[in-house]
Amino acid sequence: MARLLRPFEYREPQTVGEAVRMLSEYGAQARVLAGGTDLIVSMKKRQISPRYIVYIKDIPDLNYVHYSQETDLTIGALATHRSIADSSIIMDRYNLLATACSKVGTPQVRNMGTIGGNICKAGPSQDTPPVLLVLDARLKLVSLGGERVVPINTFFLAPFKTVLQQGELLTEIRIPPPPPTSAGCYKWATKIVTIDETLVGVAVLMSVDCADGVCTDIKIALGSVAPTPMRARQAEEVLRGKRIDDRLIKQAAQVAAGETRPRSRADYRRRMSRLLVSEAIAETWQKIK
Amino acid sequence: MKQIATFIVNEKHYELAIEPHMLLVEVLRDELGLTGTKHSCGIGNCGACTVLVDRKPVLSCLTLALTVQGKNIRTIEGLAQGTNLHPIQKAFVEHGAIQCGYCTPSMVLSAKALLDKNLNPTEQEVKHALSGNLCRCTGYIKIIDAVLAAAEAMSKEAHP
Repeated sequence: MARLLRPFEYREPQTVGEAVRMLSEYGAQARVLAGGTDLIVSMKKRQISPRYIVYIKDIPDLNYVHYSQETDLTIGALATHRSIADSSIIMDRYNLLATACSKVGTPQVRNMGTIGGNICKAGPSQDTPPVLLVLDARLKLVSLGGERVVPINTFFLAPFKTVLQQGELLTEIRIPPPPPTSAGCYKWATKIVTIDETLVGVAVLMSVDCADGVCTDIKIALGSVAPTPMRARQAEEVLRGKRIDDRLIKQAAQVAAGETRPRSRADYRRRMSRLLVSEAIAETWQKIK
Repeated sequence: MKQIATFIVNEKHYELAIEPHMLLVEVLRDELGLTGTKHSCGIGNCGACTVLVDRKPVLSCLTLALTVQGKNIRTIEGLAQGTNLHPIQKAFVEHGAIQCGYCTPSMVLSAKALLDKNLNPTEQEVKHALSGNLCRCTGYIKIIDAVLAAAEAMSKEAHP
């Protein structure tokens, strides 16, 4: 009977230690399977034919959202987009992450797909990376050799390429507490195709001194407008330390659009970047007021 | 290399010898003869392969069968009780929400997942719940009407 997938050896490690041991042993012949919404598609398309599938979703204690007032928010790599989007603490304090996770795919895809898988796929048009960039997320990577914590702004190297080494597993995402009197948002425009792939994604995190209306800090990140998700650092400089007004927002948006490096539909993407950055900053400012 | 695995589908237990590379949709259709679940786009866009696993809508065409051993799987065949249609199925029939019928099993299951949590959804909430299920025939209007009508009927049944 012809089957949709080519045969492979299936492994179900019960601990992170087991998993990284297997990944180290099998090297390039193994792929990690969690939600499967990306890997299985690639395998069906014969883009990859792994000899070993290392299924990690049954490893306990990798699916959580933990909040504590003083320390970082920690999210287990196996947390699904659905659980993050529905998490009351994330909706309350890191709302832009809930927004991004609720945009990924479809309800079914969100029930299956994990944030770890999303990050490691490193597609240029994905929704969670720009949000994680403005949130200054750090990623815990575990291997046989130990563990390391990598800031997300060094994680993405090129389309679908990250600093993750063979034999390494992403286990946790850490997000520092949001600054006081801050807010954020995530906005996007989509390609007009079935799955609403993001054409331009904009994440903003901004804190404002309410006494004098001065922007004490701002982070702007864009997705789908460069080979990797990017921070618009020059645009941030336009606003940082200044009193916010509409003229300045417009200027920052213009600068942000100039920082993008879109490959296709470049003119439209730059224009949409300018529009969405402007809207995102204005909306965030409203939220803080 | 086949291995024995236990599947709980529509509250029945099945012990099957399956290979790791078999997808849930293949096991349901080919091993169990439950052909209500469809394989359509194959890449996670259309939702025609939707089944409920532990009450959550998931895509059976992107799920390795071995990963859902022992979990509660519900397919469209597990909704009606004999010839008694589930209220959602009744509403689909009554509202003309079925044309070719290909998307219908998955639409009904996604609707069921919604109504099992929220018996008073807004139209927007219905659309959102069905946003992962594509229909090429109906234009969705009657499907949405049917789900809202089913919500009302199920509500009345729950609080007579």
